[in-house]
Amino acid sequence: MSTLAVTVDGVAVSVPAGATALDAARAAGRWVPTLCFDERQAAFGACRACMVGVEGAPAPLPACTTPCRDGMAIDTEDPAGRRVATAVVELVLSELPEPPAPHTELAQVADALGVGEPRWPGATHAPEPADTRHPYLAFRHELCISCGRCVRACDELQGTFALTATGRGFHANVAAGLDEGFRDSACVACGACADTCPTDAITEVSLLALAGPATTTAGRSA
Amino acid sequence: MSDDRFASTVTTTCGYCGVGCRLEAHVRDERVASISPALDGPANEGHTCLKGRFAHQFSRNRERLTTPLLRDERGGELRPASWDEALERIVAELTRIRSAHGPDAIAGLASSRATNEDCYAMQRLMRAAIGTNNIDNCSRVCHSPTSYALRKSFGLSGATGSFADFDHADATILIGANPTEGHPVVGARIKQATLRGMKLVTIDPRRIELADYGVLHLSPRPGTNAAVMLGIAHVVERDGFVDRGFVDARTEGFNALLELLPAYAPDAVEAITGVPAADIEAAAHVYAEAQNACLSWGLGVTEHKYGSEVVQLICNVALMTGKVGRPGSALLPLRGQNNVQGSSDMGALPDTYTAYRSVEDEDVARSFEDAWGVPLSRRKGCTIPQMFDAAVAGDLKAMYIFGEDVAQTDPNTAHVEHALESLDFLVCQDIFETETTRYADVILPASSFLEKSGTFTTAERRVQLVAAAIEPPGEARTDFEIIKAVSRALGHELPWATPADAMDEIAALTPDWAGISHERLGRHGLQWPVAPDGSDAPILYERSFTRPGGRAHFAALPYKAPGDAVDDEFPLILVTGRRLQHYNAGTMTRRTGNVELMDADVLEIHPDDAARLWISDGDRISVRSRMGRIELPAQVTDRIERGHVFTTFHFPETRTNLLVGASADVNTSCPEYKVVAVDVRPIGEQPAKVPALAGGA
Repeated sequence: MSTLAVTVDGVAVSVPAGATALDAARAAGRWVPTLCFDERQAAFGACRACMVGVEGAPAPLPACTTPCRDGMAIDTEDPAGRRVATAVVELVLSELPEPPAPHTELAQVADALGVGEPRWPGATHAPEPADTRHPYLAFRHELCISCGRCVRACDELQGTFALTATGRGFHANVAAGLDEGFRDSACVACGACADTCPTDAITEVSLLALAGPATTTAGRSA
Repeated sequence: MSDDRFASTVTTTCGYCGVGCRLEAHVRDERVASISPALDGPANEGHTCLKGRFAHQFSRNRERLTTPLLRDERGGELRPASWDEALERIVAELTRIRSAHGPDAIAGLASSRATNEDCYAMQRLMRAAIGTNNIDNCSRVCHSPTSYALRKSFGLSGATGSFADFDHADATILIGANPTEGHPVVGARIKQATLRGMKLVTIDPRRIELADYGVLHLSPRPGTNAAVMLGIAHVVERDGFVDRGFVDARTEGFNALLELLPAYAPDAVEAITGVPAADIEAAAHVYAEAQNACLSWGLGVTEHKYGSEVVQLICNVALMTGKVGRPGSALLPLRGQNNVQGSSDMGALPDTYTAYRSVEDEDVARSFEDAWGVPLSRRKGCTIPQMFDAAVAGDLKAMYIFGEDVAQTDPNTAHVEHALESLDFLVCQDIFETETTRYADVILPASSFLEKSGTFTTAERRVQLVAAAIEPPGEARTDFEIIKAVSRALGHELPWATPADAMDEIAALTPDWAGISHERLGRHGLQWPVAPDGSDAPILYERSFTRPGGRAHFAALPYKAPGDAVDDEFPLILVTGRRLQHYNAGTMTRRTGNVELMDADVLEIHPDDAARLWISDGDRISVRSRMGRIELPAQVTDRIERGHVFTTFHFPETRTNLLVGASADVNTSCPEYKVVAVDVRPIGEQPAKVPALAGGA
């Protein structure tokens, strides 16, 4: 297999043909913020948190979907890229009813980017009781940032296709089946969605008590 | 990722099926709070299933055994006892029985759920401390035919490749397995492969979920797998797909097979199996035309009267086409329990020491005598079914059953219970009371996979580390400690401080394991055989087979009818198996939230059969075989073929195995769980209008 010579922040790395700028950055030991990316899934390129500078490109590019070329020079701390990433994360946080729990990927990315209290006033998702109709898997819909990772985990890792994206704009969210909850959907309870969720919008029922002040009742109000 | 919700996180290997998922067990307040998949697990690559991820609460269930229990007399009440008292009782009884009746009046069972080190310790205890080869393990009742056949055909008792071969295969034939329920992570892998274009042929009397993702589904009559494989071989030969170069250079016995094949033209096979001749031809072409193709099978192949022969016939098809020993062309048996591979590798078998070396082999026996410092028996011991027969006959007086619920899971339950009642003395070592412990004189409280250290060997021959996440509850101990204590009390010291020390002894005495040590296994394990320098074998037989002359063997075995058949009295065929939510006897999964997802065994029956018998979905029905009768609810579904019914044995109240008879594999005595002729009928809500028996109630 042919390899490509790439530099990341001045560090030379060799990556296999087909590798992305994100693969190269990780091979070089450099951190790039990501939200919609999971190495178990095909790159999605939706969140725009992984914007990096590429020499010769007129604007920052999403690292997860940018294929490496031989001789490519990548700047993971490109100021324009970081500005976009920071704004993306701040906007995501601005819709949440509470700051993300410290163990979540979203909280850790926000922390690493230095995003604190969002400066954007406006609508936030209303807290609602966790949907605990399933013995193991719980929805906390107000924490969903529509990254699509759970839907793709169900499709690409498990192959059950039980989850689906619902709603538009501010109301975009996820649902099991036709929103009948995990238990009555095609779900096989593999938990891949909870494992990949960067915000605990899908989590384990037994971890709810550890994850925050959520109260639980049966079902999501329609 | 830092996560301060948990006090500690331990990477270990799943204790459910034989896939061997690597797990991260997160601990808080001395219990497992959550389990997530290890991203670098070779078999699971960051995925797990319902069982591995969520079904861990059993480990702190209040019904866990936390102290030794004794019965002062057979059939008396159990009472708590100290470890000293329990050990004294075991030594007194076993010593008395051995003096009066000889060491072969005692038998032990190791567990395919326990670690390699536990199983190795158990077989050493039976061989060295007791002096008998009466040691077996539960692979007897699932994949012993696979082990036997792979050794006959190729040489080594294990998969020829890895699950990753599915990712590189252009086609796969899956026979008698339902991986999306029984081995869910491999099921997901196969499903993803089909979505990328791998052509899948499924062969099963049930229309399993993966059938919907394949190019072809064959539903042979239960017990006719041999004819299907011979039919495929016939078409492969007839249509010129034989790889003559491979056959000539690397195999023997092909001509004998050629003489057999003319009798298995697709039309003839259709008459035997019910599979349309065109489908036999299509299946053979899908496999033979692929550049690389896998063959994978489960208990639907092995748990038959001629299961071990069918596995050899599967091997034939791979040999004819040269599809073995390279990436993407592998034979991958789906092993039932987490350590079915390892418990047998470890010599917990009545006829072999570690790595399947015969107890009758003088050099091998000497090497163990030298290491253990005691004389060892050269006489083969009893298999599990033979043990029960011997107990009923009065020749076997005592059993030490470790981690196995024979009264629920073995066939012909009435016979098993008769055997257990006939014993003078029964020791059970388990984590819960089971159907079997009802007959125990001493019950030793043991540990689950979350509480022990050691190794499991997966269906890929991969030896992987198991690490304790939590402590055993109460006075329960690890199985390794218990077996050491019993052996010491019997006068034979097992000289290991830790399971890692036991593995060093295994490596020293077993050439195929020479390079294995706990330190070397690391996060990803090693696939045996492992050379002394630590290099392992993801693919077997790349250049030669592990048989005399380096040649694989074609088995020329004709189709023979199964041990049971329908007649007017028993017109339906019962097949038994496993469901996604539960695991075998259900000892673990019934004590988790999984019961909320499935809380009873049900009998699957085809809508046409149900209509004919006036059975509606959910009705309670009676199922009667030549051996016994049970009652359970019906589930009307066209997943099952007409003429067949399907159920599980996850719930002890169902007692499914009362129905299963003594028919077993001719070479390995693996029971024929998959072909039982039954009569199914509804149980009316009104009492049946039958004449009262004379003087009856």
